[in-house]
Amino acid sequence: MGTGVAQVISLAPARHRDDVLTGEGLLPVLPALRALLPGGGLQRGSVVTSGDWGLLALALAAEAVADGAWCAIAGVPAAGMRAAAEAGMDPDRVLLVAEPGPGWPQVVASLLDGFDIVLLRPPEQPPPQLRRKLEAAARRYGSVLVVAGEWPGAQSRLLVTEAEWTGIGAGHGRLRARRARVAASGRGAGERPRSAWLWLPGPDGTVTAAGEAASGMYSGESAPLASSG
Amino acid sequence: MTSRAAAARRVLVLRCPDWPDPDGSDGSDGSNGSDGSDGSAAARAFEPVVAIVGEFCPQVEILRPGVCAVAARGPARYFGGEAELARKVAEAVCLGGFTCQAGIADGLFAAGLAARSGPTGLLVPPGETPEFLAGFPVGVLDLPELCELLPRLGIETLGQLAALPPAEAASRFGPAGGLASRLARGLDPRPLIPRAPAADLSVQQEFDPPADQSEPVIFAAKALADQMHDRLAAGGYACVRVQVQVCCEDGRELSRLWRHDGLLSALAVAERVRWQLDGWRGRASGGQGDDADEPGGSGSGLGTAGITLLRLVPDQLVRATGRQLALWGDSVPSDRVARAAIRVQAMLGHACVTRPVLAGGRSPAEQVLLVPFGDAAVPLRPADRPWPGQIPAPAPATVFGSPLAASVTDGSGQPVSVSGRAQVSAPPAWLSADGGPARAVTAWAGPWPVTERWWDPPHARRQARFQLVTEDGSAWLAVLQDGRWLLEASYG
Repeated sequence: MGTGVAQVISLAPARHRDDVLTGEGLLPVLPALRALLPGGGLQRGSVVTSGDWGLLALALAAEAVADGAWCAIAGVPAAGMRAAAEAGMDPDRVLLVAEPGPGWPQVVASLLDGFDIVLLRPPEQPPPQLRRKLEAAARRYGSVLVVAGEWPGAQSRLLVTEAEWTGIGAGHGRLRARRARVAASGRGAGERPRSAWLWLPGPDGTVTAAGEAASGMYSGESAPLASSG
Repeated sequence: MTSRAAAARRVLVLRCPDWPDPDGSDGSDGSNGSDGSDGSAAARAFEPVVAIVGEFCPQVEILRPGVCAVAARGPARYFGGEAELARKVAEAVCLGGFTCQAGIADGLFAAGLAARSGPTGLLVPPGETPEFLAGFPVGVLDLPELCELLPRLGIETLGQLAALPPAEAASRFGPAGGLASRLARGLDPRPLIPRAPAADLSVQQEFDPPADQSEPVIFAAKALADQMHDRLAAGGYACVRVQVQVCCEDGRELSRLWRHDGLLSALAVAERVRWQLDGWRGRASGGQGDDADEPGGSGSGLGTAGITLLRLVPDQLVRATGRQLALWGDSVPSDRVARAAIRVQAMLGHACVTRPVLAGGRSPAEQVLLVPFGDAAVPLRPADRPWPGQIPAPAPATVFGSPLAASVTDGSGQPVSVSGRAQVSAPPAWLSADGGPARAVTAWAGPWPVTERWWDPPHARRQARFQLVTEDGSAWLAVLQDGRWLLEASYG
C-alpha cells in the first residue's frame, strides 16, 4: 500500500511550469546527450543550436517533454512528429507554429513566455540586436531556445559531424539506424569540445549512445551499408 | 401523467443539416468527415441562423454549430401554437437561405430526435414524448458503452429501457444507466436544482478604455471562466449552459447561450467567446447590419464598437458529478501555455497554431493530423490499426507537407522507372532534389509498391516507394507516381 502511494506520487508530473520561473535549473535530456551538454541538461534561459533541422533538434527536447515540459516548434512546417514521438517526445505537449511569418521574432518571444522549450528554425538570419532580445526573453522566462541554424550567442552548439546509415544496401535491406557523431562546443571558460557517437535514430526510432566500434550492429540480415561517404 | 406533463419542458430544436454532424449518428456516415479544424468558421457561418431564431425567442441556446434550441412554451403561446411556431421559424430560416429541420418535444433530447425525424422535422404533442422515443434504438443515446451493452441484454429500444424501473437501471448500469433511463422516459438528463443558489455565480470584467480588438476580451474570458468554474466547484455545482454577455460602448448588450454540461474547460469557454465575437464582427462587416440600431437582444451585430464589459453567467445549475477532460486527455495545458498559444493565434490566425495528432496511414504525411489549438479532433484514420505497407521505424525527421519534385537517374543518365511487376529499370545512381545539383546515390532500397483506394477513383493511388542514401550522408524517402519522382521525407 505504502509503496503504491509512493509510486503514484513519483508518476505525477514532476513539476509545474509556474514553479520554475526563476530561470534556474536544468531541463532533462536523453541519457545519450547528457555528456554533450554542460551540467548534463538544458540550462533554463539558454540558447542551444543543433545544426540544420533534423532529429537532433527533436531529440534535444524529447526527454524534457516526456518529463512534463511543453514544447513549441516554430518555423518548421516539415517537422516529422512521428519521428519525434519515436524519440520519446509526447505529441500531446507539442504545439506547432509552422509559418511564424514576418513577425516571427514577436511570435517566438510570446512562445518563450509560455513554453519550456521552443524549437526554432529562423526564417532568416536575425541581426545581433534581435538575437539579444530573444536571448533576453529566454532568460527572463526561464525557457530554452533550441535553434536549428546559426546563432552566434548560443551557450552550447551541437552538430552532427559524421553520419552513416546501416541496414540498407544496393537494392536490398532498408534504413534501419544511423550512427552519427555529434560534436558539442560551448561558450565560456573551460569548455572543451566534446563529441559522442549516437544512434540517431536507432532501429526503433529512439536516440541512444552508440559505441565507438559498433558499426554494423543494426545491419540486420543485409550486408553493412557500403557508404563511401 | 399529470406530474410528468407538469415537469416537462417544451423545447424546439432547429437543426441545419448542412453543418457536419460530429457524432454522425443520423445515419449518414459519409458526412462525419469533420476533423474539427474549422470550429470557428462553422460557428461564424451559423451566426446568421441564430440571429433569425433569436427574433422569435431571444434566449437561443447553441448546442453546437448547426444545432440550436429555444424554450418553446412562451413563443408558442405568442405565435399561435407550437405547429405555427415551428412553421414560422423554419420558414424564416429558409428565407435566410439555409435548409433546416425543426422539432418540438418534451425535453432537449427528444426535441433533437424530433428535428432529425422526417425531412422538415416533427412536432411531438405534449405528454407523448415517451411514446415517440419508445421506437428509437438505444444507439441514439450517444453513450457508447451502454449502447453496446444494452442490445446484448435484449434491450434494443428506448421503450424497453424506459420500462425498466429507474432505480434498477441506475443500480445496474451506474450513473450512465440512470442518465439513459431518464432520457428514455423523456425527462431532462439531470434534475435541475429547483431553487437558485443565493450567491451570484456570474463573473464579469470591465474594459476601460473599451477594447476594440477581440484579443484582450478572449484573454479575459479565459481568466473569467476559471473564476466561474472555481465558484461553481466551491458550491458543488456544474452548469448546463453558460451565457456570454458582451456590453458595447454604445450601450448595446449582446448575449448568447452555449451548451456547457460541466464539460467545458476554461479554454473551451474562451474559444466560444472568440467564436461569438468573430461571428458578430463578421456579420457586421458582411453588410447585414441593418438591424444594428435595435437596442439589446441578440439580433444586432457588434460592428466596430468597443467592448466595455464581458460577463459569464452560469445557467441552469445541476449537482456536479465529476468532470471529464476529453479534449486534452491528461495533458491539460497550463494557463501560461494556453495564454501564449492564444496570443500567437491572435497574431497569426486561429489555424496557424496547431497540435499534432498521430493518425494512421501509409505515407508519412498522412500519419500526422494538425489540429488548430483549442479545437477537438478525432483522427479519421486511427493510428492503432495495422496499416500494412507503411514504412517501418525509424520515421523520418522531416516530412514535406507537399512533396518535393526530384529526378532520379541511372548510371547512363536515364530516368529510373518501375514496371508493372515492380521491377526497377536500372539501379538509381543520381538524385537531384528540387532542381538542385545531382548527388550520387550510395545505397538504395525498394521499390515497395503501394496501391491504395483503387475502389475510389479520385483518391486512388499507385506508387512505388524507395529509400535513397546520397553521398553526403542524407537519406530520403522517394516515391515514383505517374512517372514522376517526388521526395516525401528526409531522414536523420
